[in-house]
Amino acid sequence: MAHLVLPNSGHNRDPEASKMGMWLFLFTEILLFGGLFIVYFVYRNLNTEAFLNASFELDVTMGTINTIVLLTSSMTIAMSITALQKGNLKLSVNLQWATIFFALVFLVIKYFEWGSKFEHGLFPGMDHYSHLPAGERLFFFLYFFMTGLHALHIIIGGIFIGVVIKKTKQRKVTGERISLLENSGLYWHLVDLIWIYLFPLFYLIN
Amino acid sequence: MKDEKQHIVSFKEHLGTYLGLLLLTALTVVVSVINADLKMITIFTALIIATTKAILVAYYFMHLKFDHKIYRIMVWIVMGLFTSFTLLTVLDYITR
Repeated sequence: MAHLVLPNSGHNRDPEASKMGMWLFLFTEILLFGGLFIVYFVYRNLNTEAFLNASFELDVTMGTINTIVLLTSSMTIAMSITALQKGNLKLSVNLQWATIFFALVFLVIKYFEWGSKFEHGLFPGMDHYSHLPAGERLFFFLYFFMTGLHALHIIIGGIFIGVVIKKTKQRKVTGERISLLENSGLYWHLVDLIWIYLFPLFYLIN
Repeated sequence: MKDEKQHIVSFKEHLGTYLGLLLLTALTVVVSVINADLKMITIFTALIIATTKAILVAYYFMHLKFDHKIYRIMVWIVMGLFTSFTLLTVLDYITR
């Protein structure tokens, strides 16, 4: 009886539990954005005309390009999981890099988009913004808040994938221990899912 | 469950999903341009297309289709709850 053996002292892994935890976290993210979407629906319903007029200020072409960029990045991260499961470490790392590349492209396009809104003084607190009708001010406030929060998620997701690249190269993430890559993928797809709803609701009010 | 071999989604399946998503994106843009007069129809078609895209991403990219069904059940419960709360709130405002 001299030895006290702790039942879980080893390096135990539980892929199901780690995936379950990630999904539970994603649900809290859905509720975070979901609350904002409810705010959007209510105010759009109360200010139909204003939301319509304000949405003409948004660039549909840039929005569409960004949608395609995000969908492509979603595919590359999903493929990087397939590649690692098939044992192709190099391809997996390259596809993860590709995802980060597309994340940067998305952010650069977003930068130019926001930049042109700043030039027109449409950011909350700016001159032109303060003179808009209340409904249009609401539209731009929600636009900046929701796309801004989404862009923050892109940055976090990109850093997350960066960490996974490092661990994949160190062979701490492998075909058999793929949870971390899978979870970063799940997070990335969630970011894509949110954009799937943001895009038609802000850019495509016609 | 533990003995089940992990399902590997092939590159082809991912590419197919991607093409489907691109097609739906094109569709939603086109519909919003054509249906310029029908406001309610545009927002509903836009939401239906977006939800179709979301299901594609969740089932294929996020592996929901191939994972244990507890994840599917969880996702549908959460989305169902969220949708009903949204509908209740919006209906309240529409009928005032």
